[in-house]
Amino acid sequence: MSSDAVKKRKPKVIRNEEGTPETKRGRAEGEQDVLVYHEEVELEGRDPQQDYLLYKDTCAALAKLMAEIQELKSSGAKVGSVEMEERRRQCSVHFITLKKLNRLAHMRLKKGRDQTHEAKQRVDVLHLQLQNLLYEVMHLQKEINKCLEFKSQHEEIELVSEEEFFQEAPAEISRPHVTRDDHHQLTLARLDWELEQRKRLAEQYKMSLARKEKIHKAIEQKREYLSSLQPGLQNIMQASLPVQECLSMPFEQMQKQAEVARHLPPPLYVLLVQAAAYGQACDKTLSASISGDVDEAKALSRPPEDSQDDESDSDAEEEQQNTKRRRATVGVQLDDKRKEMLRRHPLSLCVDLKCKDGSVLHLFFYYLMNLNILTVKTKVSTTTDLSGAVSAGELLNSESLLNCLYASDHGQETPNPTNRYQFDKVGITTFADYVSDLGHPYVWVQKLGGLQFSSDGAQSELMGSALSASHMERTMKLLQGRLQARLALHKQFSSLEHSIIPVSGECQHLFPAKVVSGLTRWTMMSYQEFTELGFVQHVLKAGLLRETDLFFMAVVERGTARLLAAVVVNPRYPEVMPLFSLSLHWKGERSGRTEDNLRAMESEVNVFRAELQGPRPGFQLLTNQIQRLCVCLDVYLEMESQVCDGSEGPKEFPREKMCLRTARGPSRLKPFKYNHPQGFFSHR
Amino acid sequence: MFISLQLLHMSVFSQSFSPCGRFLAAGNNYGEIAVFSLSAALSPDASQASQKPILNFTAHDGPVFSLLSTDTHLLSAGNGEISAWSWAELIKKVRVSCSVNFINLILIVGGGDNNIHIMDMETGIFKSVLKGHTDYIHCLCFKEREEEILSGGEDGAVRIWDSRTNRPVHCIEVFKYEECARPQFGKWISCLATDSDWMLCGGGPSLSLWHLRSMSPTSVFPLPGCQREAVFYQDLIMSVGEGPHVSHCLHGGTVKAQIPCTPSSLNTLALNLKNTEHRVMTVGGSSHQIDVFTNFSYKAFSLSF
Repeated sequence: MSSDAVKKRKPKVIRNEEGTPETKRGRAEGEQDVLVYHEEVELEGRDPQQDYLLYKDTCAALAKLMAEIQELKSSGAKVGSVEMEERRRQCSVHFITLKKLNRLAHMRLKKGRDQTHEAKQRVDVLHLQLQNLLYEVMHLQKEINKCLEFKSQHEEIELVSEEEFFQEAPAEISRPHVTRDDHHQLTLARLDWELEQRKRLAEQYKMSLARKEKIHKAIEQKREYLSSLQPGLQNIMQASLPVQECLSMPFEQMQKQAEVARHLPPPLYVLLVQAAAYGQACDKTLSASISGDVDEAKALSRPPEDSQDDESDSDAEEEQQNTKRRRATVGVQLDDKRKEMLRRHPLSLCVDLKCKDGSVLHLFFYYLMNLNILTVKTKVSTTTDLSGAVSAGELLNSESLLNCLYASDHGQETPNPTNRYQFDKVGITTFADYVSDLGHPYVWVQKLGGLQFSSDGAQSELMGSALSASHMERTMKLLQGRLQARLALHKQFSSLEHSIIPVSGECQHLFPAKVVSGLTRWTMMSYQEFTELGFVQHVLKAGLLRETDLFFMAVVERGTARLLAAVVVNPRYPEVMPLFSLSLHWKGERSGRTEDNLRAMESEVNVFRAELQGPRPGFQLLTNQIQRLCVCLDVYLEMESQVCDGSEGPKEFPREKMCLRTARGPSRLKPFKYNHPQGFFSHR
Repeated sequence: MFISLQLLHMSVFSQSFSPCGRFLAAGNNYGEIAVFSLSAALSPDASQASQKPILNFTAHDGPVFSLLSTDTHLLSAGNGEISAWSWAELIKKVRVSCSVNFINLILIVGGGDNNIHIMDMETGIFKSVLKGHTDYIHCLCFKEREEEILSGGEDGAVRIWDSRTNRPVHCIEVFKYEECARPQFGKWISCLATDSDWMLCGGGPSLSLWHLRSMSPTSVFPLPGCQREAVFYQDLIMSVGEGPHVSHCLHGGTVKAQIPCTPSSLNTLALNLKNTEHRVMTVGGSSHQIDVFTNFSYKAFSLSF
């Protein structure tokens, strides 16, 4: 036991180095021994300050003794002398004092520490308790808050207001005597009431549904009945068609047309209405009809926003994909954009103009949606077969048939100025490239559709239908006139090619009975060939011919003389006179530029429209001009020999024409004017 | 379109300057007379508009072949009638009606009836007739010093008449002279001009210069076409005719220069000698344009109908 106690003590000794050996021994010997010397007890009796002073004294004494010893040693006293021994003993005593003081200091320190520790522990305990309490407080507060925030479902239910509740609810639910005071009870009661009401209403709902089903069934039945009527009605309609035709009241046709017409774009609709009106009022032979795909038109009129977005998205994806695979998709995209821009409306209008001789001019009108212009294509169908006239190939060419119906309306460029900007975006330089596909955008076509563009010369106040109506009659008359003029020319050309000049009976008085010069050739020329001729340059310079005109070459011969006539026929024939330019090959070459007489012949043929045009509508103009040319050549050749005196041999062309004077004026012109019925020639 | 067609086929047949020299009157084949303002056309700030006529009116049914200016009036001759227009009114651009108001003037008219008529302009009565030509008369001119009338006609003869006695003095048949004659063209005389003792005549025969005292041709001008008008100017002879040029010739018989012009053949030539400011030469022919020469060696600009 004691050894255990010693062992126990050992750690303590380590901790407390300067531990009192006396104390420990004392404890080890016997704990029954109460009178053990506890130095700690002594500690309480002493004053630290005094101890501190003692310490200082002791140090000082020690220092003094050391100095004395030093002195003694230095003065040569031997070691172990009495003074030295004395002093040494004293030093040891002082040392012991110091050691005690040191022990005391340590013990004081330990004591102080222990006390502090104890106090700290007490404080910690209290602190912990505080924390616990605070934590609990917080917890409780949270709980309280949660409880306060709790929303019962019952609050979401819309309850009827209190007054209503008290009024409506039966007494056993509302229990006013209880609920008026107790809010909780009131709410419960209200909830009860609500539940009951809802149950009741659910019952009603079910009943209503059942009723609705019944009614639906009834409706279905009736519908079936009606649809079974439909085929019966169709049969009746079919049967009535012949009756309609018989009575010439094509109601059904008109109705159908009106139905389709609803889907026409506005300009075409205006055109249709005006054309039909004109046809009914003025020209019974005019007919207008709609052709094309109605479904597509219907699809167009519904603008599908979503599908457009989808399309653009899928396009974008496609593009991205494509750029990885192919290189030149920019061109393809541009092409697509162009096609999109030039898209036609699926519906088109067909107007037929009939002429007296039975030939028909078919006009197909199209509407270009993005460009907002109308275009027209033509077709001519004739009762007789038109063949045999090689030179007349261009006359009824659908590309150029309606050229310049009004002056300078070539129909090669779009009349809508905004199209310029649209074309720039997709890289179209000129509309003329697409004209053969899409039709000609003549200005009169736009006017007939009620489209007025600000670049037009005459700013009229009319718009839409009024504009169309004001132009309709004149345009239709011009169209008919154009067709008839071309057909007349066609016939005339076929006989001209056979070297016969067809002069009608009414125009015979313009010419003498005997005309010796004859037409030997009539051919068509292109613009290139024409402008290369030497003797037409004056016409070019005067600006009297355009690329859109028709060019011909006539050759008139008599004997050795050969007269070449280059003819310019304006598309607006016979409103505009054909222009002749002459060149004579006889004993040399002369033309209207070098010789005054030929110039006078040109003037005779070109200028006197009123005489030459014959009876209205003036389709004889060209043939009369050619006949007059032959007459003038006769006069020229016969008079020429007259002027020349002293020529050898007989005259080639004996003079047969009667005239008063062979030459007049400083330029000595020949008498080219024929006088009827006296039959002689004079000067103008 | 019709107007440009008309212009294409227009010919100018006659010209005459106003008495003050500032205006030019021209007659064309449609019977119209146009009055141009020379001062406007020659001014430094002349424009396209100043080359157009200030007045254009229809004078006759047929072409206006001859224009003549007196001190106050413009006389125009068409196909059968002679009209007189007052210059004062023409200048004011007023369309005039015929008015005849002359004092002490005599008009000599050569007509298609082969005779020359002399008319007293004050009274309007034809005083006398000179007969002698066998075919119609193309041109007349007057020698002031000896008071003689020269006439040339279709029959190829140039006759000289005494205006006081109205008797023929001489007759020259030009085509009979070998130097001048050109049988391939004919024998007609279409232009006559006289300058004291000298006479120019031409037409079918070549243009030739004659000395009147000796009645013989001194020089013959080798000009290719038929000449329609010729004048003496200082020491030059200027003539126009077939061919698009004005020929300048010397008395000796050489052709000094041929100045090109717009019309393809020329009918009339006029010199404005009355006004020193606007001393120009104008020519007209088979075109609606009248060429104006300020310096006689080249064309300055053209007036247009």
